[in-house]
Amino acid sequence: MLARIGVDSRLVLDLYASLAFAYLDPGTGSLILQALLGAIAAAAVAITTFWSKIKLVIGRFRGRGQARSSAAGGPEHGGE
Amino acid sequence: MEASRNPGSFRDPSGHVFERDGRIFRALSASAADRFNAVRATGIVERLVADGKLVGYREVAPADAGVDAAHVLEHPRLDVISYPYEWPFEVLRAAALFHLDLHLTLMASGVTLSDASAYNVQFNGVTPIFIDHLSIRPYRPGEFWSGHRQFCEQFLNPLLLRALFGLPHNAWYRGALEGIPVAEVAGLLSLKHKLSWRILAHVVLQDRFQRAAARSERPARRMLGRSFRPDAFTGLLRLLRKWIAGLRPADRGPTTWSGYAGANTYAAAGEAAKKEFIASATAYACPRRAIDLGCNTGVYSAIALSAGARSVIGYDFDHQALDQAYLAAVASPAMSAFLPLHLDAGNPSPDQGWRQRERAGFAARAGGDCVFALAFVHHLAIARNLPLPEVVDWIVDIAPVGVVEFVPKDDATVQTMLALREDIFDGYDESHFAAALARRARIVRRSAVTQTRRTLFLYDRR
Repeated sequence: MLARIGVDSRLVLDLYASLAFAYLDPGTGSLILQALLGAIAAAAVAITTFWSKIKLVIGRFRGRGQARSSAAGGPEHGGE
Repeated sequence: MEASRNPGSFRDPSGHVFERDGRIFRALSASAADRFNAVRATGIVERLVADGKLVGYREVAPADAGVDAAHVLEHPRLDVISYPYEWPFEVLRAAALFHLDLHLTLMASGVTLSDASAYNVQFNGVTPIFIDHLSIRPYRPGEFWSGHRQFCEQFLNPLLLRALFGLPHNAWYRGALEGIPVAEVAGLLSLKHKLSWRILAHVVLQDRFQRAAARSERPARRMLGRSFRPDAFTGLLRLLRKWIAGLRPADRGPTTWSGYAGANTYAAAGEAAKKEFIASATAYACPRRAIDLGCNTGVYSAIALSAGARSVIGYDFDHQALDQAYLAAVASPAMSAFLPLHLDAGNPSPDQGWRQRERAGFAARAGGDCVFALAFVHHLAIARNLPLPEVVDWIVDIAPVGVVEFVPKDDATVQTMLALREDIFDGYDESHFAAALARRARIVRRSAVTQTRRTLFLYDRR
């Protein structure tokens, strides 16, 4: 019960924080939509970040491979 | 003189606009003044004023303005106040893009807007300007865009009516005042419309979520404590900007009047003489503001501007002609002081809204120093059955000087109007028209339009 009250009072505080400047009713439908779009944007950012990390790892792996192969072929190229 | 509060300035209790001795002031509460000062410290306010995007202001002592307020600003008076239900599609689009661009500019300085009212955008000629300093406030990281629904209802949905269905927004908007509700647009959509993910998100889903919230308070409670990423906030503004910039009216066939200027019923010689008459009447009246009734695509408004009118407000009821007029004016620097607005002269904008004073009617806002009513009178006196002397009275009341063209009954345009109806207009002829005009004003000059039986009258009631 206390926990429940604790949750509720947190919600009330959040309500005050988020509506501190709002004389306009933003509309729950609009807020839920924004939350959804925000989640999609966050997911897109996460996927992009994840993908760029994968590319980085692949790049490093390839780079290492290339470095190794160029190191192996170094004298031939370097000699020219 | 007593300070009189602007009857439309009541939504935000932390401030209001009032007039005193013909000057315009804005009272701010202590908390609103703190917010405004915090915004001003970023330097963005001065930049926007300098760029002509925000109405200027100066601080005045509350005692000098005669009000009991923590903080008072004085603003210059705008040349004209117009409402979104008077804006043609292209003007509403320009206002929407301006609002989004302004919001993006503000966000870059850590500032946001507390609402998205279309009434906070006004026009100086073709150029939009923001008028509500009270709604500019610091952005708090994580906050939602509280004006999103209002933006949809006051900008996006009215534009979608025309873009999806070919329906002009004006009559509906005028009736609803706060815009076109999301639920009502959602109810009109076909399956094909709903396949667009933008429509699905901003209309269909927003409506569904709102309905779910009306059934239970749980969805609203679940939103509390959530936050919205700043990049998602600006991304949403950019997404709407791209969408609105790409909208095209669904009705693209030529209307009677959008092609009128290029294909009217009289010859080029008559046209040249008419332009000459307008130019000399403008020089005679020296208007600060001219009113062009039946402006069509703005051909004669352009003549008035080049002959010295400082600004011209054009009115017409043809949506496509108005859109063409606005786009042509935006493209031409010489036309930057021209604003084309929608008007059904038989049913002009009324005094309406709260206590019927919130939004002033056409009569209270439309006055000018000079009025042009070219090929206009027969649209009221014949097509709308309005008594000719009353039509003359109505025009003469708009401005002390004006040019009115009389189009006789045997003109091809009037003959088309009478083609399927009985001619009940015994009093519709040039002598009755001239007599009605002479009762209200001095007829300075009258001139037959070459190769037609039309006549131009210059009147002066000063």
